[in-house]
Amino acid sequence: MRRVSGLAIARIALLWAAAIFVLFPMIWIALASFKTPSQLNDPNLVFFAPTFASWENVLSSGILDAAGRSAIVGLTTVLISVVVGSSGAYVIAKYRAGGTATRFGMLAAQVLPPAVLVFPFLTMAYALRLNDTLVPVIFAHLSFVLPVVTWFLIGFFEAVPRSLEEQARVDGFSRFGAFWRVVLPQVLPGLGAAAIFGFTLSWNDMFYGLILAPGKAAILPVAIAGFNTFRGVQLGSMSAAILIAVIPVVIASFFIQRKLVQGISGGAVKS
Amino acid sequence: MATVTFTNVSKSYGQTQIVDDLNLVLPDGSLTVLVGPSGCGKSTSLRMLAGLEPITSGDIAIGDRVVTGLEPKDRDVAMVFQNYALYPHLSVRENIAFPLRATKTPRTEALKRADSVADSLGLSHLLGRKPKDLSGGQQQRVAIGRAIIRQPSVFLFDEPLSNLDAKLRVETRTELLQIQRRLGITSLYVTHDQEEAMTLSDRMVVMREGRIAQQGTPLEVYSAPANTFVAAFVGSPKMNLIDGVIERGTFVSETGVRFELQTDQEDGAVTLGVRPDDLLVEAPGAISAPATATVGLIELLGPRAIVSLSASGLTLTSVVEASNLSGMAESATVGIRVRPGAWHLFDRESGERLNVRES
Repeated sequence: MRRVSGLAIARIALLWAAAIFVLFPMIWIALASFKTPSQLNDPNLVFFAPTFASWENVLSSGILDAAGRSAIVGLTTVLISVVVGSSGAYVIAKYRAGGTATRFGMLAAQVLPPAVLVFPFLTMAYALRLNDTLVPVIFAHLSFVLPVVTWFLIGFFEAVPRSLEEQARVDGFSRFGAFWRVVLPQVLPGLGAAAIFGFTLSWNDMFYGLILAPGKAAILPVAIAGFNTFRGVQLGSMSAAILIAVIPVVIASFFIQRKLVQGISGGAVKS
Repeated sequence: MATVTFTNVSKSYGQTQIVDDLNLVLPDGSLTVLVGPSGCGKSTSLRMLAGLEPITSGDIAIGDRVVTGLEPKDRDVAMVFQNYALYPHLSVRENIAFPLRATKTPRTEALKRADSVADSLGLSHLLGRKPKDLSGGQQQRVAIGRAIIRQPSVFLFDEPLSNLDAKLRVETRTELLQIQRRLGITSLYVTHDQEEAMTLSDRMVVMREGRIAQQGTPLEVYSAPANTFVAAFVGSPKMNLIDGVIERGTFVSETGVRFELQTDQEDGAVTLGVRPDDLLVEAPGAISAPATATVGLIELLGPRAIVSLSASGLTLTSVVEASNLSGMAESATVGIRVRPGAWHLFDRESGERLNVRES
């Protein structure tokens, strides 16, 4: 029989404690989405006859349309970020373009409170008659997704041996041909992880969406916040909506978790 | 079919001169080996020919075509890197066919030719594998296959054997030479291993600090090294180099060891070079030489042995036939002499060769 050391038991116990701590609100929200308004007042209530009233309310409230808009914003942001970011990460990794300042400075915008950026975006959106459309939201999301995706990819590009690209150039391809046919395929897993990571960043943002597109073009987090009405919070409906918003993120995170660590440490530690 | 010409080629990074005024001709169909210690500019020279490294000044021509400034893809060269640089996402077949894809050869045609190249290299059973599933030797063959499929004007080899184990290295070396001979394509081969250079090359170019220290056939370089650097670099075990003076035809080292050379070299300060094979050892019972030495380590190589000797402060190396080892043991005193005519004299100051060797 395998012997389990005390340390291993302690480690497992600690992991379980952390998991419960993180997952408990999720469980509570899941329960809440099946409760009646009066049952919602009792957070200790675990066993009850479930009602689907909140889900019916949510599904008829246009939340799916908002989710669709969020998906459009996320996918567009990610598509642009991946195309521009992979080119940027490549030149930074291979040619030290912009020096160390660019490499680490590109994340500087992450340090600023979003409020600093949102008003310029709003002013421009008004000037272009684009307020309450998805366009300014996409641009605002690019301001944080693109740098993160770029930074994430630098480590992956650095891991591609230079000789591979040189070999392709000697074998008859242009610089771009070598990049496209040889370098890019090596970073595809990283590219996929960066795309999913970028998508979740965009998907989860509420602040920019709330200010740039508060009305008919509201994205999912804004729509969820809409359940906080002047007559009080519709807790059951909001819980159901939150679950709808969380599920894709959880699934995505599950698939990219390993690459996520690699990308974050690869970008931070110069080999 | 192409002769490659380097004309006054220099390369510097800022103040650092990597290659200094290189003039070199690679005759059509020949295999030239650039050899030297690391940092001597040999790899840079090869990369300048490939187009991977821009040239600071001078010109490189392949045949009648000046290729200076051209992209690698427009030079019609093929290269084998030290780490083989196989494309990890492509199968063996696709790796070999890859250069043909650049020439817009139809895919089926390219794969067919890759199959026949793989067949000639004994890779047929591995066609569907990815590089990571191959041994080092197999990866090497795939890299060679990829280089030969396009029948380029010039082959470039950048230390292609140094990642292989010793036995495989010797086998692959022979095979590489056979392929080069069969295809008759002008080749430039870079290595830091002088033995590899000796066995492979039609012409051997020894480089030092960005300049050519000596070039010629391996035999010319071995039998008449142009200076002490080449003398010490080429040949294994290393040539004995002893500082001393010539006095009326006899060499006397600074520490007083005498070798009767019977040279007509005028008196003065010199460095004497003696290959270990040419430093003869007399067994303890039969010493007739004026110089003696104490035996240190004896390393038996089979038919021969490397004997370390110390003679009044000098450390010398001799290679002795195993049959002549009798009576020789560590700390025994033996006589030492130089094989008549088999010595090299170099200027003490400049290190340049003084005597013309009649080999």
